[in-house]
Amino acid sequence: MDPLALTSEALREPWRLWTGHLVHFGWEHTLANTFALLVPALLVPCEDRRRLCTVALLAAPLLSLLLLPGLGQDQYRGASGLACVLWTWLGHRLLATEDSAPLGRLMLGGLLLKLAGETMVNGSLLVRAEGWQTLPAAHLWGACLGLISTIPARFHARRA
Amino acid sequence: MSRSFRFSLFGAVLALLTLGCNTPQTTTRRSSLMDYLYPKQQNAPAPNPAGARLKLPLKLGIAFVPGGSASWRVQNLMAPGQEKPLLDVVKQSFKDKPWVADIKLVPSTYLRPGGGFENMDQVARMYGVDVMALVSVDQIQYTDPRWYSFTYLSIVGAYVLPGDANDTRTLIDAAVYDVASHTFLLRAPGQSQLKGSSTWAYREVQLREHSAKGLQLAMTDLAKNLDAEVAAFKAEIASGDRKDVDVVDRQGVSLRQSGGRNFGGSVSWIEVLGVLLILGAALRWRRA
Repeated sequence: MDPLALTSEALREPWRLWTGHLVHFGWEHTLANTFALLVPALLVPCEDRRRLCTVALLAAPLLSLLLLPGLGQDQYRGASGLACVLWTWLGHRLLATEDSAPLGRLMLGGLLLKLAGETMVNGSLLVRAEGWQTLPAAHLWGACLGLISTIPARFHARRA
Repeated sequence: MSRSFRFSLFGAVLALLTLGCNTPQTTTRRSSLMDYLYPKQQNAPAPNPAGARLKLPLKLGIAFVPGGSASWRVQNLMAPGQEKPLLDVVKQSFKDKPWVADIKLVPSTYLRPGGGFENMDQVARMYGVDVMALVSVDQIQYTDPRWYSFTYLSIVGAYVLPGDANDTRTLIDAAVYDVASHTFLLRAPGQSQLKGSSTWAYREVQLREHSAKGLQLAMTDLAKNLDAEVAAFKAEIASGDRKDVDVVDRQGVSLRQSGGRNFGGSVSWIEVLGVLLILGAALRWRRA
């Protein structure tokens, strides 16, 4: 078993909570997820870069903990769950200012479309030829975590 | 000095030289799994054609296989009280595994030499375990004299000069069996080697210390290897290579059928196209 993949072993080997999002099933999987991560990395305003990194660092283990009960004896690899967190978080951040609001709407709309598509599609269609299948729960939980991570910013804005 | 006296003196010196000079010595501690499970007088029982069906989480029993018929060269396997701390090494490294419900340490005194599967079944029933890990030991200790070991003849040298080169090699092997079907599941080795020097007077003390330490190190190595073997075993079942064994998880899903599911967080290529479009639009809009 890969020592970096997210499995139930993560309770004994906590690094898996982070590294599970870094390892992938082959280069195609890696490349596709890199594109997904590239969008928030490139579009984030300069003043929010540090916040984006903090959200990624904190959300990774939380997302892993949310996925663990459903994994059983299986394993999870991939960064797209984390990408969903960052898309949701950045989408909300961009909505806050009038200039960037259309971009934020575009990001959130695109993500919503993906989540709706995955929820409607039969699970067997998400099985890949390489011997693994997409876990829609990772994307759903990622979006939820992204929403939750916007709360501190809203709270600060309201206090200001 | 009479001739007979000189002859006796020469004989005494020769005897002293012969007895006093250090000679290579080998000590063996051994227990054999084959002797325990398949005693020579019995035919090996045929394996259950239905194979093993393991229901997770497992109740695991660990025991040292009792030593066989000891020859004058083969010493007792281990000192009283040494067994539990050694088995604890394996227990500690497996107690948090999700597939383990409980680990029972079975004293080897409950296992009869040459007891076979019948004896294993009795012990497994007594401890209520599904799977038994039988640990066999092969430890050899070599003591070789160094060139200056002749100084032992001076008595003082035997207490001062370390003229013995001691080498302790330990090999521990754990074989895991399904109790219900007597199916062999997996095996893992653990080994260690310790070297040291001692005086003639301290030789036995050092050999005992090295024996205990060697077993401890080999057991730690075994725990590590066993972990890797379990992962390989699981992969073999998932890929269908082990047709004689199936594992059923807590949800009742067979590992053979599920194939050890791999989940990935992924973005399809159509989605990647959408992502690139969004990225392109955003960068163009920003520039404008």
